[in-house]
Amino acid sequence: MILRFAAVVVAALVVAGPAAATCAHPKTSLSYLEGQIMCPTCHTTLDQSDAPAAQRIKVFIQHRIDQCASADQIRAELVTNFGAGILAAPTHKGFDLLAWWLPIVGVIAGAGVLAVGVWRWSRTRDGDADRGPPDLDAADEQRLDELLAKLD
Amino acid sequence: MRVAKLTGQAVALAAVAGLLGLLVWRLTHRPKPPTIGGPAPNFVAKSLDGGSFSLASVRGKPVVINFWASWCGPCKTEAAELEKQWQRFRGKGVVFLGIDYNDPTGDARRFLAHHGVTYRTLLDGSGSIGDRYGLTGVPETYFVDRNGRIVGEHILGPITTPRWSDAFARGVQAALDS
Repeated sequence: MILRFAAVVVAALVVAGPAAATCAHPKTSLSYLEGQIMCPTCHTTLDQSDAPAAQRIKVFIQHRIDQCASADQIRAELVTNFGAGILAAPTHKGFDLLAWWLPIVGVIAGAGVLAVGVWRWSRTRDGDADRGPPDLDAADEQRLDELLAKLD
Repeated sequence: MRVAKLTGQAVALAAVAGLLGLLVWRLTHRPKPPTIGGPAPNFVAKSLDGGSFSLASVRGKPVVINFWASWCGPCKTEAAELEKQWQRFRGKGVVFLGIDYNDPTGDARRFLAHHGVTYRTLLDGSGSIGDRYGLTGVPETYFVDRNGRIVGEHILGPITTPRWSDAFARGVQAALDS
């Protein structure tokens, strides 16, 4: 009886063991994270690297995914281990926010400068049109009269 | 209008000057690898067994600094030999420091347990210590004398190869002799 019970327990462990090791409902995937994490030795993202260090990090990520860790959790653990440089993009908080906002501010400022420039340029041209052609000085006027006289 | 124009030009000039300054600063502050006879760059790092460790805290003792990583094949080759050398020289006051470079901590622990490494291991996950030492790869080994100066030869491979095993012996001796 005891032997039969032990056999059932062993069989259950053999069947359930691998299943327990793998998360039934993973919260993220390796392919999702690969493009967001840098290989620390080759300075490309993991999806573009087969360096040993990159491979070990991929194994770590897969291991954590199998334990049902979320993408945020895995990223945080990698930052703790490797520093913020392991992330391919800066975070959306604190000083790193500057990296996201500065380009937008730069584009808006550039567009503003361009708009003001175009506006001022167009106003100058309108002003020129209102003014008409510049007045001729006496010498030019005399030459023009002479030329016109020749044509007559 | 003229004031606005001058202000705009001044701001643009300041921005360009700032960027230029940043570029110059980056170029002039690049870490240079330590030279033999020069001071060993100091560092403070987390120890694998908890707490932090500063190289300056072992000033007065000969130090062997070995950069390694669990994903590095040659590091596996030399791990047992390094442990052997540590056991050989620890009685003479030589400090061995293993610096785990760009490595997941869990892998590092497994590596150390597998190879029976017992000397102090420091974590350099971000690679900043390696950068300060001008690391070109792993494993690499430096020797620091009692005065905090780099001595011997900068070992650029596993100490188990004939070329580097002699250099290792000379390096430890140079650190001891200072």
